[in-house]
Amino acid sequence: MKLARVVGTVISTINVPVYDGRTLLLCDLIAPDGSPGDGYLIAVDTVGAGAGETVLLIDEGNSARQILGATDAPVRTLIVGIVDVVEVSPGEGQESRAEAAPARPTRSRARAKPGPKPAPKAASTAEASTRRARSRRSA
Amino acid sequence: MQLAQVVGTVVASVKSPGLEGVALLIVQPLDRGLAPVGGAVVAADAVQMAGPGELVYIVAAREASLAMPEPFVPVDHAIVGIVDAVTTSEGSP
Repeated sequence: MKLARVVGTVISTINVPVYDGRTLLLCDLIAPDGSPGDGYLIAVDTVGAGAGETVLLIDEGNSARQILGATDAPVRTLIVGIVDVVEVSPGEGQESRAEAAPARPTRSRARAKPGPKPAPKAASTAEASTRRARSRRSA
Repeated sequence: MQLAQVVGTVVASVKSPGLEGVALLIVQPLDRGLAPVGGAVVAADAVQMAGPGELVYIVAAREASLAMPEPFVPVDHAIVGIVDAVTTSEGSP
């Protein structure tokens, strides 16, 4: 399995039937410490991963087909997990503990409660203060 | 799977059994910024709709032949989808 970071999506309408209704995510391979790895892969999402998350990839056909339950599907790369933390045992140098970013609870909260956009609110506050300043000036 | 661009076609009148009627296209693998990476390869067109200039994604190795109508054929790269859009956090490449 490989560690990767989701960096985008690939949208496709004309494809082999097995990909119908499945999400394809663009994943940059990374090293255990989070530094960039060698290249990228397009993977089928099976866990609901999102952009920016560190994920676990399978890049092997038999496992991929078994997970999808499709014995003859031309699929090879799957996202099979979302990584919270990668811990590398300390060697000669310092201890390395890479936090996968962003943390999963933050994302689920953000999805559950979209909330109002902050920009208009800030604008209205600024407007109000301008109005106050104007009235003060006129008085 | 990787992104690739179709850059040409291959015409072969004599092919291995099972490959009759399968279009062979020359594809140039791309990195995620859509810049060419490595050499071009010949890929079988499993969607039967790809043409020169199109952005596609390809699957390599044993899985490529599974995309063919006859799954036990000597194919090691297959076009399995035509890309409409690629979006990344840095914007579309």
